[in-house]
Amino acid sequence: MRIDYKLEDKFDLGIVIPVFILFLIGLAAIYSSTLNNPHASGNFEKQIIWGIGSFILFFIIYSIPTNTFKTVAVPTYLFSIVLLVVVLVMGKRISGAKSWLGLEGLGFQPSELAKLGTILMLAAFLSRKQTDIDSFKDIIITLLIGLLPVGLIMLEPDLGTSFVFLGLILAMMFWKGISLFGLFVVLSPALVAISSLFGTYYFVGALIVVFISLVLFKKDIFFSGSIFALNLGAGFFTKYVFKLLSIHQQTRIRSFINPSADPLGAGYNAIQAKVAIGSGGFWGKGFLAGSQTQLQFIPEQWTDFIYCVIGEEFGFIGTIITLALFLYLFKRILNLAATAKDEFLSLTLIGILSVYFIHLLINIGMVVGIMPVIGIPLPFVSYGGSSLVANFLMLGIAVNIYRTRKNYT
Amino acid sequence: MRTERFASLQRKSVLYFIIIGSFAVLGFRLFQMQIVEHESFKEQAANNSIKAIEQTPLRGVFYDRNMNVVVNNVPAYTIRITPAYYDKKLTPVLEAVLGVEPGYINKILYSNREFSKYIPVRIKRGIDFKVVSWLEENSEHLPGVDYIVEMQRGYPAGIRGSHIFGYTKEISPALLEKHKDYYKPGDYIGYSGIEKAYEKYLRGKKGYDYVLVDSKRKEIGKFKDGTEDVPSIKGNDLVLTIDSDVQRAAEEALKGYRGAAVAIEPKTGEILAMASAPDYDLSEFSYVTSREYLQKLYNDPDHPFFNRATMGANPPGSTFKIMEAVAALNSGVITTATTFTCRGGQDFYGRYFKCDAVHGTLNVIHAIEHSCNVFFYNLIYKIGMDRWDEYAGKFGFGHYTHIDIGDESRGFIPTPEYYVKRYGEDWPKSIMASLGIGQGEVSVTPVQLAKYCALIANNGVTYTPHLVRGYLTNNTKKLVPFSYKKIDLGIDTSIFNIVKQGMFLVVNGSGTATNIRSSDIMIAGKTGTAQNPHGKNHAWFIGFAPFNNPKIAVAVFVENVGFGATYAAPIARKMIDAYLEKDKLKQDKILPSQDSNNNVMGAAVAN
Repeated sequence: MRIDYKLEDKFDLGIVIPVFILFLIGLAAIYSSTLNNPHASGNFEKQIIWGIGSFILFFIIYSIPTNTFKTVAVPTYLFSIVLLVVVLVMGKRISGAKSWLGLEGLGFQPSELAKLGTILMLAAFLSRKQTDIDSFKDIIITLLIGLLPVGLIMLEPDLGTSFVFLGLILAMMFWKGISLFGLFVVLSPALVAISSLFGTYYFVGALIVVFISLVLFKKDIFFSGSIFALNLGAGFFTKYVFKLLSIHQQTRIRSFINPSADPLGAGYNAIQAKVAIGSGGFWGKGFLAGSQTQLQFIPEQWTDFIYCVIGEEFGFIGTIITLALFLYLFKRILNLAATAKDEFLSLTLIGILSVYFIHLLINIGMVVGIMPVIGIPLPFVSYGGSSLVANFLMLGIAVNIYRTRKNYT
Repeated sequence: MRTERFASLQRKSVLYFIIIGSFAVLGFRLFQMQIVEHESFKEQAANNSIKAIEQTPLRGVFYDRNMNVVVNNVPAYTIRITPAYYDKKLTPVLEAVLGVEPGYINKILYSNREFSKYIPVRIKRGIDFKVVSWLEENSEHLPGVDYIVEMQRGYPAGIRGSHIFGYTKEISPALLEKHKDYYKPGDYIGYSGIEKAYEKYLRGKKGYDYVLVDSKRKEIGKFKDGTEDVPSIKGNDLVLTIDSDVQRAAEEALKGYRGAAVAIEPKTGEILAMASAPDYDLSEFSYVTSREYLQKLYNDPDHPFFNRATMGANPPGSTFKIMEAVAALNSGVITTATTFTCRGGQDFYGRYFKCDAVHGTLNVIHAIEHSCNVFFYNLIYKIGMDRWDEYAGKFGFGHYTHIDIGDESRGFIPTPEYYVKRYGEDWPKSIMASLGIGQGEVSVTPVQLAKYCALIANNGVTYTPHLVRGYLTNNTKKLVPFSYKKIDLGIDTSIFNIVKQGMFLVVNGSGTATNIRSSDIMIAGKTGTAQNPHGKNHAWFIGFAPFNNPKIAVAVFVENVGFGATYAAPIARKMIDAYLEKDKLKQDKILPSQDSNNNVMGAAVAN
């Protein structure tokens, strides 16, 4: 094995540079959106400190032996499940969700750790030699591993993070090689569940689609029948769960369906976010010159609505550059996953990629009005220590895998 | 097989396609919002963060003809409620403090419910200073309640002018619908009189202060340091034709009566005074008018809102005789030599018509002096109904005077067609005798009669009666006069000289109004007493002074009192005195030109 001492060989600048630029864009946006807000003064400085801490963590993770990840998979997963239970019992409630643990003055979200724990756990389970992703038993085990934290997070309740988990479970099962029918069995109840929220017509429509698909798959009647029953059950269960959701989540979902119904309530943020982005135009209004941002039309804009600041002050140029950086990053991770020889590492990379991707999709989708308002940060850009640390930690794993990619043949 | 499926190229492509597809959707959406729909969002953002605060301009003030301020603006306190911050539990307390009936506040808030909850709603204007101090002291316990200083109408000259100045009121929803371009709910608009007629001059132009607001619509500073603000432009001041002293004299003299008095400068048609009684207190309208006061006005059987000067049409009585005399003289039907003999009454078409006295044989001058009915019964048959109608029309009877404040009655001049319609082809011609002395179906308004008097005084020439001379430019305070239509009857001065001599004798001879004779002002006039089937007669008087150079022509009408000379003439005298004595215009003591006077009177005596 030839040892290459070139930096690019050990350290993927293609991953790190876009992330670094995204972090800088985020800093600028945080600076701008907190400048005139006495409640958020110091957030810019805090983010820099968190950033420095995250970079250090990133390099530590980058440097440790790659096989450590497999070793810590089960403990990390179990530990994060414990924390998720703890947070339900003694967590701090912030904006409607009990998702924070206070540790010596520092806020910490166990669900951030749970993402990594679940990725590693799933990767470990799926990469076992004897795992057959198309066997009913292994599908159930996979789902149980993945849905345990989802269930706990739903109880907080934190809808956005739950979606992230669902996405990463699906992506990892897909990457593992689940058959089309298996995917259908896993996916169809979820789709029926979501469509049931839109109303009876959508629910019935989704059931018809499921029914036709089952006919086309030509499995035996008994099996197809139980799958259909599962779908039916999922739909009704969701309606039941929807009623159990907190009022603020119900109104958020409702206001997505019709945002202008309550322009000063739940739909307010969605409207103001669109106005901020749309009014930015091609070149943007200029740094610190966005009226929506500077006049605080969007509450806590430095967190989940950070993309509005970019859209308003840096315009279409800014939003597209941001998107392009993410796209490059994702492509880079996907390529790495495709070339990684070790199944565990490859699955881990897909898990990481799907976490980043779903965060981006929900966050940006939300501010441009094609997704419901679900509070979820934009990776590397939004203000917030927990998510920054978690994201850099996962980035460290990714670049670590890059570093040792040639060791696994 | 399974291991081959793991991380297959196909699956990578699917993931890659999902990522690319999602980015394409997001990118397209951003393109749509930031480039295609940019303008609309830009506008929304501007509306969001920049609030235009309307600056109500000062309303133009009114000057009288001597440049005394008669209507101005005075600061007053208005209490407001911002519904978004208001606690409804406060309502009973506030209502008690304001002294309004329970439910008052809720009613106002309810009628403003469709506006933003962050826009303050005016609850009551002109609140007491005590209430203001109470608000100030308790402000921390009164969320959403505040007060502002607004300008209200003030009347510093001590004249009422109820019907001429008019009042302003919060714009009604119906009017708002019509004038959406300028007015907004809560704006004040002229509702009557000059305030209404000259609204466009008086209101000025609204200004706008642009302020930055945050998401809670709280002001956080000026937009671009106020450089974009549009200052409001004060309304134009109006210069009225009113003389405050004459107006005051008229109002005071009419107190306790129902009636009207109008004084006009004959040469210009400028109205020196116009009063209608009973009147009302305009200052009550400056604020949110108290309900009781309005109720009182509406329920008053004497109808104080009714402007008798322009709307009250009644038979003119003997004041109409001058018109007939002019008609007869000008059409050559009679001369000063023509006489009729009064034996205390006469029979016409089978009906006997009385005179007040047995006047004997007299010519037109003395017939006017003594207001001899017999003479004018005969005269109307002599000139005929058509000519009578023609001259009544010439003097403006039966037509609008087109006075600038609008709202007037045309009065009524009966025509042969009218009687044919009413009684058939053979309508009783005896009716004409009544018309000859201004009784019967004929009706005129005081302002018509004042204009008529002005025409006589100024030999058939005057202008459309008006109350506003012009407006002052805002910066240079230069008067920009309004132009009014000239009225010229085209009747020779000599004709007027004849009737005027009669009118001179009414006051200064042995006529019907010698009670108002003045030692230093030569007044000429004519009394009238309109029969009223429902009660006492209505009293009329028209007159002008000084005789040789008329500066003021007056018409006075008093309802249900009796003789014109007794009730109406003294009011006219007071108005004339108020105008002429002050202006030191009493030099005109010369008697009417001696020669012609002697001749004419000689003729009368000879007969």
